[in-house]
Amino acid sequence: MPARVRHRALIVVGALVAPLAFAATALAGNGGFAPLAPQSPNAEGIQQSYLFISAFAFAIFLLVEGILIAFVIRYRRRKRPRNMDGAQIHGATKLELAWTVGPVLILFVIAAFVFAKLPTIQDVPAAAAGSENLVVDVTGTQFTWEFRYPNGVVTIDRLRAPQGRTVELRITAPEWDVIHSWWIPALGGKMDAIPGTVNKTWFEAERAGVFQGQCAELCGLYHAKMLASVEVVPASEFDAWYDERRAQQEAGTSTLGEELYEGSCAKCHGLQGEGGYGLRIAGTQLVSDEQAIETLLRRGGILMPPVGRDWGQTEMNALTAYLKENLGG
Amino acid sequence: MAVDVGQPRVPAWQRGKVASWLVTVDHKRIGILYIGTAGFFLAIAGFLALLIRTQLAQPDGAVVTGDSYNEVVTMHGTGMVFFVMVPVLAGLGNFLVPLMIGAPDMAFPRLNALSYWLYAFAGLVYCFSFLAAGGAANTGWTAYPPLSLAALGNGQDLWILSIHILTLSSMAGAINFIVTIHNMRTAGMSWMRLPLFVWSIEIYAWLLLLVLPVLSAGLTLLLLERQFPDTFQFFRPEDVAAGGSPVLFQHVFWFFGHPEVYIMVLPVFGIISEVIPVFARKPIFGYKAVAFSTVAIGFFSMLVWAHHMFTVGMPTYLNIWFMLASMVIAVPTGMKIFNWLATLWRGNISLDTPMLFALGFLSVFTMGGLSGIYLAAFPVDWQVHDTYFVVAHFHYVLFGGSMLGLLGGLFYWWPKIFGRMLSERIGKWTFLFVFVGFNLTFFPQHMLGLLGMPRRIYTYRDDGLWHAYNLLSTVGSYVMTVGFLLFLLAIVKSVNGRRAGNDPWQADTLEWYTTSPPPPHNFDDVPYVTSARPLYDLRRRLREAEAT
Ligand SMILES: [Cu+2]
Ligand SMILES: [Cu+2]
Repeated sequence: MPARVRHRALIVVGALVAPLAFAATALAGNGGFAPLAPQSPNAEGIQQSYLFISAFAFAIFLLVEGILIAFVIRYRRRKRPRNMDGAQIHGATKLELAWTVGPVLILFVIAAFVFAKLPTIQDVPAAAAGSENLVVDVTGTQFTWEFRYPNGVVTIDRLRAPQGRTVELRITAPEWDVIHSWWIPALGGKMDAIPGTVNKTWFEAERAGVFQGQCAELCGLYHAKMLASVEVVPASEFDAWYDERRAQQEAGTSTLGEELYEGSCAKCHGLQGEGGYGLRIAGTQLVSDEQAIETLLRRGGILMPPVGRDWGQTEMNALTAYLKENLGG
Repeated sequence: MAVDVGQPRVPAWQRGKVASWLVTVDHKRIGILYIGTAGFFLAIAGFLALLIRTQLAQPDGAVVTGDSYNEVVTMHGTGMVFFVMVPVLAGLGNFLVPLMIGAPDMAFPRLNALSYWLYAFAGLVYCFSFLAAGGAANTGWTAYPPLSLAALGNGQDLWILSIHILTLSSMAGAINFIVTIHNMRTAGMSWMRLPLFVWSIEIYAWLLLLVLPVLSAGLTLLLLERQFPDTFQFFRPEDVAAGGSPVLFQHVFWFFGHPEVYIMVLPVFGIISEVIPVFARKPIFGYKAVAFSTVAIGFFSMLVWAHHMFTVGMPTYLNIWFMLASMVIAVPTGMKIFNWLATLWRGNISLDTPMLFALGFLSVFTMGGLSGIYLAAFPVDWQVHDTYFVVAHFHYVLFGGSMLGLLGGLFYWWPKIFGRMLSERIGKWTFLFVFVGFNLTFFPQHMLGLLGMPRRIYTYRDDGLWHAYNLLSTVGSYVMTVGFLLFLLAIVKSVNGRRAGNDPWQADTLEWYTTSPPPPHNFDDVPYVTSARPLYDLRRRLREAEAT
């Protein structure tokens, strides 16, 4: 091999290995080269499928780019006349067959792997004896998430969940609203919240912590602010909170009013009711008039969606109380 | 020159510099009008893209409001797809197809002019929709109901109207292409001797013809339901019992939307299949495989639409079907890539600007194809759907693929279209800036998606990595812009550029047989076509004649 060619070959190899090394280090620290570190078996299954596909994709990528670069270097014109013919080869059936069958086999292997993983991703684990699955109704509305627990507890934008217990989510949107998409990357894939339909997904968080996510389907003005988070706490702590929150909610001392305000009102009217996209409401007569508020929330205004159309009396009372107390004149 | 007896007389008012373009039915002039108009829309939609990137350079960017951001995103996508890529390919096809098959014009010249003017009119509606009460459409280029039903003002209605008009334009154009290719090939040009670009335009036209009516139907329903909500409930879920469903629209849209991707990519495959052999001085490796894989891709592209809908909660057997069908498309696409690579093998490769773009296309389109596998595997799609990973994927396909290939094609055919060469020096700089800028812009977006950033958000959480990758992407978009300005410079300078002569690249297909630019009637005579490379055969016969 002449020195010049060797030199170039070295550059090519270097150029191919460098991104590989970079990708490897980034993968270890996960700088976005793989989905966020999974915290639930379904996210885990997706992660494994992702990595499995990546192995093939990466190999094919290197193969194609390698051949491309090698051919361009090896067969470039140099000092030959521009119009000198290359080898007049019209094809090679066997070779073409090979690069038809090869990809078919690779895709077959990938599909087989993904299908093998599918049950751990899709199927809700059956509840173990003594602890039933926690079923939460998730409703997306412009531009907030509402979580409704079996015992009547309602929270907004932040879902509290017990560690190590399967949480089933029944996801929907009100019929008068638009499509949203539920997504907490560390806890699995997304699932659309479609008006008039109930979609199901689940997670089982392996460790405590707060996991961020946000609406993934364009749903209008404040789509970008339709954040959600899941706060996973040890099971005992969850149980204590679960009962306490219910009692508070019934007594009207829970933070529900504040959560509702921040979730449904503040994005347009400001955290202090100072106005923004929506009108200024702080200190207006409206906020002290429960009847007027309820009518407005249930019917909507010209630009305002009827955010409270499906609320129960608990939510309505919680919000009107919050408004009166914090933004009243 | 004596007046041809057969030539219709041109009235005086139609002979003026401007008037002659307004009334032209010459496929070459119509082609140029198409390409020029698409260039205008590229400037608009490209400017909107820069707005997006500038807004996202910072987590709480304030270049535009959240309200107008949704308009910007919508009109960028709509503009690039409907008013740039599809028409510019129609323009290139218009100019080249008759020349490549040795015909004097398209089959229906006046229908051809109608196609163009409908496109121009649709473009006008698109532009003026920015002035509508409530602004332009702001529900994404996909316009999913119920969001698009709830959209206030008339922006959404004008959006529907402009696409309706454009659809008529494309349908007429598609019929014209098909009739031309089927009936007007010169003597000896059998289907197996058809230039591969013409093959790709044939499939492009069939796809338009088959899927555009479905989009039109869907948009008509949307328009009816927007205007008469009490009478029609096609997509409104409140009347589920009557069959209304928001998901129905998604099926209709993507039945059009997925083939639309191939409508924008297949002709570029055709460009690549013309450019690589010429600059490698070789015949295409496996002509039949390349031609038939185009047909196969076109066919399968109509069976995979719901891979855009894996998160709507379809039954598992449907998810599996759409996953497998999508993967099947990878096979003919892979065939093409390997056939192009094999065409380089033992060639005599000249790295002129058209070839640089073709090779650049090959390197980044592969990337877009591979990231598509993740999206086809539906459990993985549940994770990356509607994130920047998808944005990166389809820009690798539609920019890295379509746009790079198209730029290569423009550098390649510019001398034929205008008779002047584009500067090679500026051309190479154009390639460098566009290629580097492109990768800088879109590669980090894969990472953003995997880190959890959804598409179509005007502000994002101030997470260190999100900001870093976004900033990188924004820098890349400006580098790319420099590339496009250089291209503009090359165009301006080409007015006094080197004269091209009939066949500056020593190419193989019939368009290079006539003068540059070609005369109104295209050819005085057309040689009998004996293979897929008539000019190569001609040159060989000449050499042999000289030798004896
Ligand atoms: Cu949203
Ligand atoms: Cu698709």
